[in-house]
Amino acid sequence: MNPGLLKLAVVGSRSAYGRVAGIAGGVAVGVCLLLLLWGGANGLSARDDRGAWLRETGLPSVAAPLTDDPAASAPATPVPLTADTVLMEANPVEVFRDRLINRRDVAALEATTVKIPGIGSPPEPGSYFASPALQRLIESTPRDELGDRFGTFAGTIDDAALPGPDSLVIVTGAAEAHLRQNGRAFLVSDFTTNPYGGSAAAYNTVLSIGAIAVFFPILLLISIVTGLGAAQRRERFATLRLIGASPQAISGIAAVETAVPSLIGAVLGVVLAAVLRPAAAQIPVNGSRMFAADLTPGWAVTAAVVAVVVTASAFVAAHRTAHAGIGPLGVTRAVHEKTPTMWRSVPLLAGLAAMITAVLMIRVMAVRLPWLESLLLVGGFVLVLVGIVVIGPWLTRLVSRLGLRRAQSAAGVIAASRIQKTPVATFRSVSGLVIAVFVVSVFAGGSSIVESTQAPPVRPGLLQPTSLHATVAAGHTPGQVADAVRAARELPGIRNATIGYGPAALSERDAGPEIYLRAADAPGLGFEDIPATETVAVDSSFLQYWTTQPLALTPAPAATLDGMVPVVIVLGTDGTPEAMDRGRTALNGSGVTAIPATARLDLQLQSSTRLIQGLAVLAYLGMFVAIAIAGLSLAVATASAILDRKRVLGLMRLMGMPVSVLRRIITREAAVPLLTVVLLSVGLGFLVAWLMVAFIDDTYRVTWPAPEYFLALGLSLVLALGAVIATFSLIRGNTAVTATRFE
Amino acid sequence: MSTTGTPSPILSARGLHHSFGQTRALRGIDLDVQRGEVLAVMGPSGSGKSTLLHCLAGVLVPDGGSVTYRPAGRSPMETSALGEPKRTRLRLTDFGFVFQFGQLLPELTAADNVSLPLLLAGTRRPEALRRSTELLERLGLDGMAARLPGELSGGQAQRVAVARALVTSPAVLFADEPTGSLDSLASENVLTLMLELVREAGTTVVMITHDARTAAYADREVIVRDGGTGAGYRVTA
Repeated sequence: MNPGLLKLAVVGSRSAYGRVAGIAGGVAVGVCLLLLLWGGANGLSARDDRGAWLRETGLPSVAAPLTDDPAASAPATPVPLTADTVLMEANPVEVFRDRLINRRDVAALEATTVKIPGIGSPPEPGSYFASPALQRLIESTPRDELGDRFGTFAGTIDDAALPGPDSLVIVTGAAEAHLRQNGRAFLVSDFTTNPYGGSAAAYNTVLSIGAIAVFFPILLLISIVTGLGAAQRRERFATLRLIGASPQAISGIAAVETAVPSLIGAVLGVVLAAVLRPAAAQIPVNGSRMFAADLTPGWAVTAAVVAVVVTASAFVAAHRTAHAGIGPLGVTRAVHEKTPTMWRSVPLLAGLAAMITAVLMIRVMAVRLPWLESLLLVGGFVLVLVGIVVIGPWLTRLVSRLGLRRAQSAAGVIAASRIQKTPVATFRSVSGLVIAVFVVSVFAGGSSIVESTQAPPVRPGLLQPTSLHATVAAGHTPGQVADAVRAARELPGIRNATIGYGPAALSERDAGPEIYLRAADAPGLGFEDIPATETVAVDSSFLQYWTTQPLALTPAPAATLDGMVPVVIVLGTDGTPEAMDRGRTALNGSGVTAIPATARLDLQLQSSTRLIQGLAVLAYLGMFVAIAIAGLSLAVATASAILDRKRVLGLMRLMGMPVSVLRRIITREAAVPLLTVVLLSVGLGFLVAWLMVAFIDDTYRVTWPAPEYFLALGLSLVLALGAVIATFSLIRGNTAVTATRFE
Repeated sequence: MSTTGTPSPILSARGLHHSFGQTRALRGIDLDVQRGEVLAVMGPSGSGKSTLLHCLAGVLVPDGGSVTYRPAGRSPMETSALGEPKRTRLRLTDFGFVFQFGQLLPELTAADNVSLPLLLAGTRRPEALRRSTELLERLGLDGMAARLPGELSGGQAQRVAVARALVTSPAVLFADEPTGSLDSLASENVLTLMLELVREAGTTVVMITHDARTAAYADREVIVRDGGTGAGYRVTA
């Protein structure tokens, strides 16, 4: 290609410079977000890898001899602690305020060779190592609300063993006898490096879907900005053809003139990502910020992103130009859009079918082929995403046909006619926003299950949400437990304290199905119908957070609690966070409880903290990114639509069409496809969310989304309106009589 | 500089000056356009004839001088002193425009293109389409109402543009090289039909052309040179 010809074609006019700036700017934003998200995905993975040791479940600390007669089974015997093992107990719910603390209690021999990640040798009994974030929390909180639970500070856990800078992790030293007494400790000789355990496949599948969902709008943005000013370019290319440039030369020029600003934009995007990385690391994901280093995607990935974006944009530009029918006398053949037909619904239906098949395989047919399930789910999701973009023009055309029949105003006729004749181009301008709404709906649907499991019912016969309970460890006398309860009862904010009894500690085999208590204590637990007996009984499921049907008290078989052992302590609080944490600290530090004191909400917090909560946080990040990009895409596409028609719109103005009519045309051209497909996006989003949730765990249910969802939807519409309004000044400037006159 | 005119001109330009940067396009032109006449404005490229037409039509506000429009039954108005919204309204209600090319909206059918000015003026669409179709038929475009501009020949497209310019029954039709992109046969056809309609309606026409054959259809010719200054400016009756 002649460099002189290329120079003439690429530079020289204000609109050419504007186009270069538009492409470079759009690509810069796209590449920046792409790198940050890629880094984020890597960061999540690195974070999970660092925290993998916390998933270590070890080996049983007791051995039960095998026997053929279950009734004659011998008692389990302890497996001795050795120098190459530690005894460890993972506390399921150590809670401060509404945050989970990842707590491990460890007992070891003095000569132990086991190294705890981030610490080294295990802490002495009565001392602890804490993550820096937790230690700061302990130091800034009254000891009776937090610090008294753990003992003496021995040091901080190294960042290399922490998921993120905000992780709340603690390893406390304990006596072997104490841990064995609780019956939940296990022996550990080495720590796992598998961050997900058995759920790795499902987690990775969902993560892949989340990544695709966020990347798709970015790709759309890049595609839209590289098509900026296509009409003007066609005119220039026609001139070049007239003076002898071959079609191949024209395609080459188109490729180069798109590749150059794309390269500039991509490099700017890399710089922008590096500058924004420390700020991006401050965004909390799953309760913790990231280490900035986690967000670095690496030079190989960065180079690959730049190369792919530049090459793809150049290829697309060359391809579009080659198929634009540009001859020496201009666009020689009218490049009509192919009328969209019903066939455009095929990818969407195929995608839904694939996802439904994946769920049916697991939930109905009980066939386990993880590779196929993931392929169907991820592939199906991609097809649904693509399917929405493919079906959009067809639906838009159907609606515009109806609109054209009913149109009465000039703006209505012009907008509906244009949409009907160019549904693909018109829909392209809103496709980013439509996809964003779909993505937001998927995430909101996915995260709604977190919402749905919260807010336990408050009714007589159910454990009150403001109550704390802790099971009593085996071997403690009623007097020791009574002392602990007495001390707790005197704390500010503690309204009552109840001891539940049974034939044996709840961790033991002889524990019965019921808990017995004094009838006088029953009102403190929220019971109203109390039998007129000295002692009463309630099923032990009363303590479980998943119990949602009220339980009734029954008269206890024995009139007194003599001969029973304390099995559970329940504290009634005033519900303030301070009182709740004071109660937790008192019970956990009393030495009589088997597990940390918990409230109903704490247990739910624990149950929903894993995969789904991670999805919820990603959801809101996804919402923000997708909506912001989509708004930008719409503004760019609308601007492009005006620039491409500036001559004809300018002549309309010259003939007496007010600018307000032009504004209404542009607004309608954005609103019709957007509103047509946005409802479909919302419905599909929730359907896909339901399928994903059913894929992960069929006990979850998708419910109404959180208020943030409606906020995000509102934000999308405001952004769409803002994007269109932002182009109004462009309408006035580019269709001005003087601008048109010299075209 | 001199002017020749008959009584009660519908448009009067006095001392028009207009520049684009350093280029002086109009240099003090005086001109009267008589009610109902067909006036051809001729001159070489760059002489300022398009600028003159734009100033007369209220598209451009001249840097100096004035343009007065005298509509029938209404008070005269100095269009050059009106604000943009009022000039836009005036162009819509009182003036019609035909250009050389690229003036039809490619997505709209011929009938919809023609009905646009009516819709902008508040006419209901069925009525606008009816009037548009009638006018298209009068211009020899029977059965073409549902066609898109891309499906029409150059001459047919230009007749659609003429229909659109005349559908609101304007007092003045401004035509800028209306047959510039057509062959001689098509030019003759378009001009004949256009002038037949305007003469029947008593519409005044200001038509810019390079072509002497086109100018021959006019009642009067004005030749503009160098913005109308000096001896190059001539008006023939």
